[in-house]
Amino acid sequence: MIRPVEYIRNPPPAKISIEAWTEQFEKVPDEEIKRYTYYHNNDWGRYLFPPVLFMVYGARELKRLKLDNSFAALRMWGFVFNETERLFRAGQSDKKVIATMGDLGIIPIIIQSFPNCVPFYPECIWWTPFFRESTEMLDFATKLGIPEAACFSRAALSAFHKRAYFPRPEMVIASTGASCDDYSCIMQQVEDLGYEPLWIEIPLRRESQKYLSADKYENAGYPARFEDYLINEYKTVWNKMTALTGINNLNRLKDSIIKANRLRGMVEEMKNIAGQAENQPLPALEMMTIEFGNLYGYADMDEWINIVEMLLDLVRERVAKKVGVLDRNAVPVAWVTPSADPYLLNLVEDLGGRVVATEYVINQALVPVEENIDPFRALARAFMKSSLNGSTSERVKRITGIAGSGQIKGVIITNMLGASHCAMETRLIEKELQSVPVLAIDVPAPFGITEQIRTRIEAFMEMIR
Amino acid sequence: MELIGYSCAYVPVEILAATGLKPHRLLHGEIKMAQDGEKYARVDACPLVKSTLSYVVEHREEFRCLVGGSGCDMARRMFDILGKIVDIPTLVIDNPRTDRFSIYSDEIDWLQKELGNITGNKITADAIQKEILRWEALRRHFRTLDEKRRAQPSLISTADFHKAVVNYHKGEIDFPPFIPEKSSDKPRVYFLGSALPYEANPALMLFEERLRIVGDNNCGLSRFLNINCAETTLDGLKKAYYDQPPCIMKRPNRPFYEHVTRQIRELECRGVIAWTLDYCDNYEFELKRLENRIDLPVLRIRSDLSFQNLAQLKTRIEAFAEML
Repeated sequence: MIRPVEYIRNPPPAKISIEAWTEQFEKVPDEEIKRYTYYHNNDWGRYLFPPVLFMVYGARELKRLKLDNSFAALRMWGFVFNETERLFRAGQSDKKVIATMGDLGIIPIIIQSFPNCVPFYPECIWWTPFFRESTEMLDFATKLGIPEAACFSRAALSAFHKRAYFPRPEMVIASTGASCDDYSCIMQQVEDLGYEPLWIEIPLRRESQKYLSADKYENAGYPARFEDYLINEYKTVWNKMTALTGINNLNRLKDSIIKANRLRGMVEEMKNIAGQAENQPLPALEMMTIEFGNLYGYADMDEWINIVEMLLDLVRERVAKKVGVLDRNAVPVAWVTPSADPYLLNLVEDLGGRVVATEYVINQALVPVEENIDPFRALARAFMKSSLNGSTSERVKRITGIAGSGQIKGVIITNMLGASHCAMETRLIEKELQSVPVLAIDVPAPFGITEQIRTRIEAFMEMIR
Repeated sequence: MELIGYSCAYVPVEILAATGLKPHRLLHGEIKMAQDGEKYARVDACPLVKSTLSYVVEHREEFRCLVGGSGCDMARRMFDILGKIVDIPTLVIDNPRTDRFSIYSDEIDWLQKELGNITGNKITADAIQKEILRWEALRRHFRTLDEKRRAQPSLISTADFHKAVVNYHKGEIDFPPFIPEKSSDKPRVYFLGSALPYEANPALMLFEERLRIVGDNNCGLSRFLNINCAETTLDGLKKAYYDQPPCIMKRPNRPFYEHVTRQIRELECRGVIAWTLDYCDNYEFELKRLENRIDLPVLRIRSDLSFQNLAQLKTRIEAFAEML
């Protein structure tokens, strides 16, 4: 007979509704709930709750979403939705909360080298209006002066203003330069709310061309001096953190890189085995959430690594058993640029798609960081592989690499109307991916996915099936 | 003479001219070209960028080389697209948004070498000195004219000034500009915002039917007058271009506001026209901050480079003029 815990840990894979999850949650023993905590705190660090609780707290979209039925996924969602509470607790428990904006994946590795320092990305708030099925945060950003046709990351500005989503950060580190304009403009507005951001320069990744000869490109694919620019930037961050904490121990940075690599390695393995499995072991929404965890471990890197370990075990097990959450005949597609609306990922799967490859503009958070060289150079090299500071063809080369192989039958690009890189990249991506059909979708405002969008996806799936 | 196209106020025109090619600023913007540009960029791209894409494609035979900067994201990516659709060498300098002179300096050194290699004309110190003297003389001449535009009463209209500066931007600099004097007592206003395309002169004429623009901070208008190259060396050139009043996209952009508010005060303007092109993030995101910092009425004009709403625009300008 299967004991309840075993059943909860290993149910036959499926995507289930929030009602089904509520029912299933009742079978989770109390000791299991108590076992998982953030910041290793047994008094107030619990985060394992049924998804319906987060719906009651405002994540209304959960009632429409279907989530993976595994215990590992339950643990993941509890942890992810608990982030606001966690950040406020961090502030209350003498941790230093640091807002790292715009670089998506490298600066938190530096921050995590300092004890009791918690990095987070305010821009990741961009999912919140969609989970809440409310345009309130976006409308408020408009009131603050942000155009309506702009990236949904504008919700971050409202979050700074409202002070309800994260505590006042002790430091704001804002990365700008050869990256998207929308967020650079939003970060500039944060300054008006009484912050003095530490501005960090993102260099251009100028790639080799046949007519360029003045710079040495070596093997990196860009002039070596660009790494040196970034090293200077990271050393500035380090010095600021040293001044803030009184600690200056580079061995901790090396350890932090090793930890980041551990996570990156697990996520890479998960993506690879999931992408090649006979049946999709985890839904696209959970996979996207896992991928974005690489940025900063949802403000508790140690616990996030434990969660990802559990998820990786689950994926390995499901793949070994050849079981999954989708129809075996689901059509494999690649997804380019993350969707701000989680429902879209559900919808594509409901309409017969299966996401087997992604380019979510966070390549710098996925690549391994070298461990046997100067840590600042290692971080610079990892960042120089970033998605947005170079050419579009370099950005999507992983997708173009598999486009002709039959591994994917189509590509879905999700855009934000008015976002600078979407406006300029979509046509180029379509051109780069001529060997497969491409569907470009403008993600509408929260609760705005219409029958028209549904029909377009349906038609696309029929075409590529 | 073959052209060398460029897109950014931080690209030193003297280095481009030292190649023996004619510098030609990519400021071609009108609605038909913008619509044609939607073959290469989405509808929500900057209309000037879309126009430039179609202009370069159509005139590809005229350009020997293209030079851009990484300042504005869409302008930077425009060169990524051009690199795929025309067979013209494209050089993009990393123009730092933050105060990092060493990056800018390295990039100008790189540009000098790369342009020499591509064109086969090594850019010597003598050639740079010659071009600095030539372009600086022209800027001095334009500054004299600009004094008349700024005078009380203003003696030169900005619409006429724009017609003259088009030649500077297109590299037609052999003849000193002449601008007829037209004294005006209309309300004095300041003009700022997105780049002003060559084809936007009718918009200036329309504004100046009721107002007099006596100063501006726009690419395509008088921004280049802020380049004041005192030393006739490459280092002097770098310093002159780097130290120009900063673009709004620089971070933090406090110095930008300090510059424009000082200008507005000195010119005794009674209002401001904020000209933004559709989807120009760097200005559209800043309009509210701008209004908060400039204690004057602001007329917001958003343009897709068409003049479809001419009657409405006239009414808005008239109402603004009456308010002033």
